[in-house]
Amino acid sequence: MLLGGPPRRSPRSGTSPKGPQSSTGHVHFGKSPQTWPRRTRPRSPGLAAPSGVRGSTQPKRRDFPRRAWLTALSRYGARLWMGRRPSLPEARGPAPRSAAASRASRSLASPETSPSPLPATTRGAVAGGGSVQGRAGAQKEVFPGQGAGKMAAPMELFCWSGGWGLPSVDLDSLAVLTYARFTGAPLKVHKISNPWRSPSGTLPALRTSHGEVISVPHKIITHLRKEKYNADYDLSARQGADTLAFMSLLEEKLLPVLVHTFWIDTKNYVEVTRKWYAEAMPFPLNFFLPGRMQRQYMERLQLLSGEHRPEDEEELEKELYREARECLTLLSQRLGTQKFFFGDAPASLDAFVFSYLALLLQAKLPNGKLQAHLRGLHNLCAYCTHILSLYFPWDGAEVPPPRHTPAGPETEEEPYGRRNQILSVLAGLAAMVGYALLSGIVSIQRATPARAPSTRALGMAEEDEEE
Amino acid sequence: MSLVAEAFVSQIAAAEPWPENATLYQQLKGEQILLSDNAASLAVQAFLQMCNLPIKVVCRANAEYMSPSGKVPFIHVGNQVVSELGPIVQFVKAKGHSLSDGLDEVQKAEMKAYMELVNNMLLTAELYLQWCDEATVGEITHARYGSPYPWPLNHILAYQKQWEIKRKMKAIGWGKKTLDQVLEDVDQCCQALSQRLGTQPYFFNKQPTELDALVFGHLYTILTTQLTNDELSEKVKNYSNLLAFCRRIEQHYFEDRGKDRLS
Repeated sequence: MLLGGPPRRSPRSGTSPKGPQSSTGHVHFGKSPQTWPRRTRPRSPGLAAPSGVRGSTQPKRRDFPRRAWLTALSRYGARLWMGRRPSLPEARGPAPRSAAASRASRSLASPETSPSPLPATTRGAVAGGGSVQGRAGAQKEVFPGQGAGKMAAPMELFCWSGGWGLPSVDLDSLAVLTYARFTGAPLKVHKISNPWRSPSGTLPALRTSHGEVISVPHKIITHLRKEKYNADYDLSARQGADTLAFMSLLEEKLLPVLVHTFWIDTKNYVEVTRKWYAEAMPFPLNFFLPGRMQRQYMERLQLLSGEHRPEDEEELEKELYREARECLTLLSQRLGTQKFFFGDAPASLDAFVFSYLALLLQAKLPNGKLQAHLRGLHNLCAYCTHILSLYFPWDGAEVPPPRHTPAGPETEEEPYGRRNQILSVLAGLAAMVGYALLSGIVSIQRATPARAPSTRALGMAEEDEEE
Repeated sequence: MSLVAEAFVSQIAAAEPWPENATLYQQLKGEQILLSDNAASLAVQAFLQMCNLPIKVVCRANAEYMSPSGKVPFIHVGNQVVSELGPIVQFVKAKGHSLSDGLDEVQKAEMKAYMELVNNMLLTAELYLQWCDEATVGEITHARYGSPYPWPLNHILAYQKQWEIKRKMKAIGWGKKTLDQVLEDVDQCCQALSQRLGTQPYFFNKQPTELDALVFGHLYTILTTQLTNDELSEKVKNYSNLLAFCRRIEQHYFEDRGKDRLS
């Protein structure tokens, strides 16, 4: 993964010594997330040209311009970050130090160290600095030479694979993945479509570096926070309280409707959800697992919405959708014209909101009443596409190819299929005819000498039997 | 309610002014009502007090079954019956009284979100404590819940309700939680509320809203209900501004009116 390593080293020579010192709390320096290299590889050639900054192939994902650190830097950095890959190696040097400092003091402004590298390296280090924000993730990429073996084992995340233009089709997996991207946590992401393959039997599941397996999404995020991948580091107390409140709002109002739209609504379920899951899962799981998941979701929804009689179901549905529409409108009002819910940097709330909205927006649902309402809220749509293009750029590109390739094998299979059919029919016919001939049901009275003895022999055998 | 029925009801509701004989039904205060129901009932009472609407509290043993949605409390106004705080707020709004008109859009969004937070965390924690914590269940809940009924009905109904609540807890992922984790969640929720309240008198500065009523209902009930252990109320007591908030509302809206509804 050290693709970006060599080019970075040169500019960084001045600042690298700082790195290890500052990494008191950040042991993730040497960790190179497996996912990044994929993205960075194509970019590096183009990037190497400009300054050393561009040489760093860190995907911009890693940087989340947290205003905290370098107020001036972050503003500049944010702009840079939005557009390109911030190269942050230089910035990383001071950033971790300030990160440690600010972490200790929990104060939002700690630009003291950040400006220093600026003069030294006039790069987009700014962007790097801005992005560093309290996130140990920042460290991980930049210093390939350091402590590559510091972490025991990388954390592994098992989640549902992508579809419909999204990196993952499952709500929880998408939320965890987005949070990991926001914070740049070095996770080894396994995108699988067989839940029985995950260490805990359900997806998403996180296997920590100590071998422990966590499968509740909130707990996964709490664990990432403990490992210092905290997207909420810069939030004020009140914003933290708002986060809790809005997450409760999402869970109470939007989650039941999302579950209903994807799993209970018959048309959607049959044409979209079940189709995707059945195609993605290996044989023989695809026969019974989607149905089982649907039953689980249905039961959950029924318990959540309380007892209701069958004739009230339609009304209950209308009520649910009405509340969901209200919830979406509220989210839109809260977001306003900001880039993220709490300013310029994404927080954990953004991860959750994004996962709900992205699923609603991207999946092509035949019954999309909520989708239509969501499309009318332009700032939420822009918010979704913004995050998608910023943090999951190749995921969006990845999807079309897989869509084409399934078509390929299918058409290839077609001629083979036909050929196999014909062959099997011929083989069947040959077997029947051979059996008939050999057992004397059909005898060929021909004048050929070769044939005659056998038929005679057969005929004699029959006579013997009769006798 | 379907949209048509709702429009109809709100039209009817808007037509009549608030009558003098509006009543609120809840379970028997002394022997039957449980922590979560008491909290909900108190929240509605506080809300109506804040709107200056007179309401009479009537205790009935079968209030839960009388209610149209199965939840208490419910109010009987004119010839309509509305249950739960959310619908009651809308009903009252249709009659022209509203506490949240002065808020802008963002504040309204925040208010709704915080109300959901209270419902999601505080109410669920109360339910958990009442129905899934064996000590409390055995000592308090079963006895109280089944008190109006003869044997064996009291046991049967209590077990049925407990089973139902346990299923719901499992569905939302609280089934595996321990009491300590639940108390942690309560603490987090109280911390969030405390931070949002800050030093203001009410959540949205000068005027109370339905959020204040809801928070007051829950916190006051938690603080004043005797349970097997005091951990829940201790968690709330950690936040002095919440205590001051409860006291302020109690003094202003309940004691000043002359009638002590919170006995």
